[in-house]
Amino acid sequence: MKQVAYYKGCLASLSAKELDTSTRALAPKVGLELIELESVTCCGAGDIHEAEPDYYLHLNARILAYAAATGADTLMTVCNVCTLNLRQANWQLMNDTELRARVNENLAQVGVQPYERDIEVKHFLWEVAAGEGYEKLKVAAHRGLKGLKIAPFYGCQILRPSKLMGFEDPDTPSSLERIIEACGGEALDYPAKLKCCGFPIIQAREETALGELVQPIEQAYEMGADAMVTPCPLCHLSLDAWQSKLKKTTGKDFKMPILHLSQLIGVAAGISEADLQFKRHVVSLDKVMAKLDA
Amino acid sequence: MKVALKIWRSNSQTGERALREYEVDAPEWATLLDVLDLVKDRHDGSLAYRKSCRMTICGSCGMRMDGKTVLACRTRMYEIAEAGHIPVISAMGNMPVVKDLVTDMDSFWEKFKAVKPYVQPGYIEPPGGREHIISREQMSAIHKESLCINCGSCVSECNAMESDPAFLGPHALAKAMRFVGDPRDSKRIDRLEEVSGHNGIHQCTRCYYCNERCPKGVDPRDAIAKLSAEAIKESIDSDMGAKHAKWFVTSAKTTGWLRETELVPKTQGVLASIKQAKFALELARHGKVPPPFPPHVAKNVKEARRLHGIVARQGRNGFAGIVQGEQAMAKLEHGHTGHSDRDPYGPGSFPRPYLPGEKREGAKA
Repeated sequence: MKQVAYYKGCLASLSAKELDTSTRALAPKVGLELIELESVTCCGAGDIHEAEPDYYLHLNARILAYAAATGADTLMTVCNVCTLNLRQANWQLMNDTELRARVNENLAQVGVQPYERDIEVKHFLWEVAAGEGYEKLKVAAHRGLKGLKIAPFYGCQILRPSKLMGFEDPDTPSSLERIIEACGGEALDYPAKLKCCGFPIIQAREETALGELVQPIEQAYEMGADAMVTPCPLCHLSLDAWQSKLKKTTGKDFKMPILHLSQLIGVAAGISEADLQFKRHVVSLDKVMAKLDA
Repeated sequence: MKVALKIWRSNSQTGERALREYEVDAPEWATLLDVLDLVKDRHDGSLAYRKSCRMTICGSCGMRMDGKTVLACRTRMYEIAEAGHIPVISAMGNMPVVKDLVTDMDSFWEKFKAVKPYVQPGYIEPPGGREHIISREQMSAIHKESLCINCGSCVSECNAMESDPAFLGPHALAKAMRFVGDPRDSKRIDRLEEVSGHNGIHQCTRCYYCNERCPKGVDPRDAIAKLSAEAIKESIDSDMGAKHAKWFVTSAKTTGWLRETELVPKTQGVLASIKQAKFALELARHGKVPPPFPPHVAKNVKEARRLHGIVARQGRNGFAGIVQGEQAMAKLEHGHTGHSDRDPYGPGSFPRPYLPGEKREGAKA
């Protein structure tokens, strides 16, 4: 078992609890032991970075400090936005000793241990898309997806900016496809799979956001996808919950089921409904599950 | 070497559009631009594309290769040709095509002009005709924004602009930041107000395509974040985007976690969020609207609250807070990371300079 400090972020704590429960249920099957972080806060979601950037850096340094104190070498995230925010802050701190010293002094003032030993920030996707995690996933996904057509949707901030992410080529990624296939599904290829879902501005500029959101859903629908899968709970929220708003602009009711990555693998690995919590989705998963049970 | 290309040929006057394949003999050091020159010279003189300097200075030759915007003069063809791949070349996105690979950049320049891309001086001339000296530190804060060559690569891939063509876009906003951060400029507040308007910074969806595509390292998305931080520092925060951002700060210092349910009324106002009631009820049915009481509070949140006070007193907010991080990362990008064995020409670095007649390892004689 590989021990990782588990940072679930805001959404998996509240409105996307199903992401947390399915990740926890799946972790031991793919060789991960999750160490709970109790004292951490929000990463700022890019919003604190563009409102009060120095505070953003300190909040993330505090998260990194608590994670490093667990003794784990990896801080595992389950959200693209958390991944970018934490990796960005981590690069800044690891590459500027003066900056790190000032931040650590400030942390000490409020009683937080300094962030000294480096820890690496990795998304759950990266843990299971390669190496030992991938080997274990192939074994765990024994129940299979019976050739279900799955449209992978990456979400921006796990690919770009690639100099901060660096797991795979941002223009020709294949991690989600590899996982879908290992789970016995068919991965669909469509142009918008690497594009933006619009979520960061869905409240401030809904029309612009919906103009982005419609592209992946419509393309996946036209390819005959049974469901879409995403490693990001913010993409999940817009794809799943805001999907109904596309009726007005397109006249179509896509009813496209959206899976969290941990749920997709979880279904293939035979995780119970109590952990998958499909009842928490706005678009029903019944059709997908019926196909699997047939 | 033999290089094959497929080029989307089109003519806006006749409405013709066709994908044509060409093959030329090119030297191994040839760039995409060299190959296009050969196609035009040997096969079809009617092929239209823009070029000038051939060395990533003029910004003329932006186009798409396999859907990804590149500068033709900066794209080596050797590995592509060796792999037997036939790339598809097309015009940039988010602009109408005039002919073949030439786009109409009028809206690009209109938006550029809209941000008044020049210094509007407000400093007092030193006596005796002496120079007005600006420190290196002051100018280095806008170093990245100053590197822009107006090639349009960022605009070509901007996801928000695809959805709303009125969005000012990454190039114009990076240019705005270049002057907001210029200590000689007198219109900082006016500029911040302008970019905080409906078509400005709050339209950006943070897809990061602009940073990914920029051939000069301008990182327009980061420039947009700097404008936002600077505007909020100056209390130019009436836009919903700014209110949204500020609510995350409030959440972090009060409960530690995002107070999700209050985010909508805090961003859109109470009246607008009541109009969303039907939609919200549907979400609530699936547990997507967690009750604000009792609040979900992070353990030891006091630490986060006190940190906020300490940080506020250290004066690194506004764009300075982003510049400090950028400068830390520049050390990484330029290889000064203490890892002396880093290959400066390795993956992720600038393409290795490639001299005529030089053979790349593994190249056929």
